[in-house]
Amino acid sequence: MSHSGLQRVEVVGPLSGIQSRRGFLSGAALGVGGVLAADMRSVNGLRAEEIAGELRRGEKHVILLWLAGGASQLETWDPKPGARTGGPFGAISTNVAGIQVSELLPKLAQRMHLTAVIRSLNTKIADHGRGADLMERGRLDDPGLRYPDLGAVAAKELGRLESTVPDYVSLYTSTEGRRKGTSGFLGARYAPLFLAENTAPPNSALHERLTAAEHQDRAALRDLLSKRFAAEHRSNTVGSLNSAYQRVQGMMASAGLFNVEQEPAEVRARYGPTQFGEQCLIARRLVEAGVPFVKVARAWWDSHGQNFETHLELCADLDHCMSVLLDDLQERGLLQKTLVITLGEFGRTPGINASLGRDHFASAWSCSLSGMGIRGGVVHGATDAEGHTVKDGEASAADLFATILQALGIDHTHEYMVGSRPTPLADFGSKPIQAVLA
Amino acid sequence: MPQNDESAAPAATPSASQNATADPATPDTPFVPGKITVDRTVRLPSITFCMARHQPSGRVFCGGADSGLHHFDPAAEKPEPKALSDLRHSSYVTGLVNAGNVLISGGYDKSLIWWNAETGEQIRRIDGAHERWIRAIAVSPDGTKLASVGDDMKTKIHDVATGNCLLDLDGYELQTPHGFPSMLYAVVFSADGSRIATGNKTGKVLIRDAHTGQIQQTIETPVMYTWDPKARRHSIGGIRSLAFSPDGALLAVGGMGQVGNIDHLEGKSRLEVFRIDTGERLHEIEDSKYKGLVEKLQFSGDRKWLMAAGGDHSGFLSIWSMENGKLLAQEKVGSHLHDFVLLSDRTLVTVGHEQASLITLAAAADTV
Repeated sequence: MSHSGLQRVEVVGPLSGIQSRRGFLSGAALGVGGVLAADMRSVNGLRAEEIAGELRRGEKHVILLWLAGGASQLETWDPKPGARTGGPFGAISTNVAGIQVSELLPKLAQRMHLTAVIRSLNTKIADHGRGADLMERGRLDDPGLRYPDLGAVAAKELGRLESTVPDYVSLYTSTEGRRKGTSGFLGARYAPLFLAENTAPPNSALHERLTAAEHQDRAALRDLLSKRFAAEHRSNTVGSLNSAYQRVQGMMASAGLFNVEQEPAEVRARYGPTQFGEQCLIARRLVEAGVPFVKVARAWWDSHGQNFETHLELCADLDHCMSVLLDDLQERGLLQKTLVITLGEFGRTPGINASLGRDHFASAWSCSLSGMGIRGGVVHGATDAEGHTVKDGEASAADLFATILQALGIDHTHEYMVGSRPTPLADFGSKPIQAVLA
Repeated sequence: MPQNDESAAPAATPSASQNATADPATPDTPFVPGKITVDRTVRLPSITFCMARHQPSGRVFCGGADSGLHHFDPAAEKPEPKALSDLRHSSYVTGLVNAGNVLISGGYDKSLIWWNAETGEQIRRIDGAHERWIRAIAVSPDGTKLASVGDDMKTKIHDVATGNCLLDLDGYELQTPHGFPSMLYAVVFSADGSRIATGNKTGKVLIRDAHTGQIQQTIETPVMYTWDPKARRHSIGGIRSLAFSPDGALLAVGGMGQVGNIDHLEGKSRLEVFRIDTGERLHEIEDSKYKGLVEKLQFSGDRKWLMAAGGDHSGFLSIWSMENGKLLAQEKVGSHLHDFVLLSDRTLVTVGHEQASLITLAAAADTV
């Protein structure tokens, strides 16, 4: 395949990606000649800009605030005050002239210059499972081919091989709609460190009977034996096990990142008392330590009844926590390297049902992008007066995926080879939304 | 949602005119309803949360999601709702009462508006009467005082004649125990006007002296607040309705029982009835047939029974014996009901999701 920048993902053994980067990085330390001498089994070609890109790994991050269950666009980014469908909330001006958001987001309204809103998502699928599949991966699986989700792609494209922190952390501590995430054809190497029960990895503390020195000695012995074994038995399984051990060691070393008690009390107080606030703080800590992708799921927005009461609670949580997160990232110089996304599986119906709820709706809804690679203070697309349809700038899930990748400096047309099948990072035909890109 | 006091409680005994018809009850035999019949329905222009009967004209006024007030004649053969005025609130109208010759409305735009019921003229407008949504208003039986509650968790008493705020009362936390904004949903005057009761999202009732604001009794109904700590991590419920018994001895509290899936109003509709002097709970009623929130309550004149309206997607009207807590009558009524007013001791009008229903109550003996 002559496509420059095309990366082969050998039918996808869990180590295929890591091998290419391992080879690259070990070679990079020796110079370009070393690169060329590195293990090239999985890499069809490299370009100078990719070398530079490789060296920039670890400097780009994504925090996905997953609004699980489907937040209402009318109560967040696309208010319709006075419309029959508009609900009781007003629209408020933001710190960007001409842009209004729901009155439920007063703090984010004052940070609008950091954020681009897409009001014209038409993703068509309005059931939780398939909607989440679509919005997490930018497309639905094909028969026999499971696509990686955004976190896995980011882990592969942005993660550093020798990093001691995980590449993809997913926090989903509520149980409703809980999804682990998938690395699809990229293999288990890029699967998330999934935290469902607690906000810290389980069993990550050193065993009480072991000293740190003993732990290191054991690891060194295991490493020696496994390398000897691997030299005699070339297999992905052995490599995968070695990788897993390295990752576990890294995980144990980084377990403290999940401990917000290590933050000053005033910082914890700033994020507020809710679990979502605590998890946003953990996300900042992880990003600061070099984790490329952190997903914080805030469930559950599925407000078939009492939509307005639900959004009074959940928007207050989102507004406060995301605002503090943006501020904190900015103050630490991280926002220019971190893309913060709000997204869910769909939005909610303009129509208000008899239980004062809104139901599932994927035909005209919104998301937001802030920080890295994003032109803040813009709105892309528009819906009609009552919010039933997109009237301008329609965007698909694939378009959004392409936009996110472009914001991160990743060519969305870049292809993985899955077996003999070239597979672009974003779906065929997708187009980044240039209006929101810096 | 709103707590209107201007409609008379159902009389313990039927009127002479009703006696002249087929009613078997006599003045010595208290009326005990046994059947609810929906006679007619009227299409309303929007989701309707509150209503009041304008005594001089007999017309029914209502307010809701279109931010305006509408009215119709329930006695007409084909009642046709008309807009009272082109003037409106700027958000949902959630409370409406009749005080003498005027109507007073309150809404999510935090304002209170005095209206001339005949001309639609706005007589007085208090913007920012509360700092957050006004959830309910009530008027004292003598029509001199207006009580309002809002999500600023304040209870305010206004002079109806001047609009002056006479009392500005705290007593509730701004946030739920789980760190989210709380809500103050319900307010009602006692029949003699001496007390007000208020109820919030987490199930706390305060009974106060209406003149001084002094708290006389605190009642907790925690079952009406569902916090889901694990699956969905938010809450639903709250006290949505209150009613004093005519003698002022009892307080009924309405809401919804604990909810499994808080995406929906799927909890059992729930009533609790308390003795005010001791705080003792006399009745705890949960109805699994008709689920959802109890949005409006009213005792009979002899406090023998209690009428409750509300719903999930569907609406219900239920009548419960206050002697033994048993169900006397029940009927599905359109979609989710938010309010009702009595037209006579046996007829009433309900409003809910874009619909009003004209309803007749019949004694149990009538149905035999």
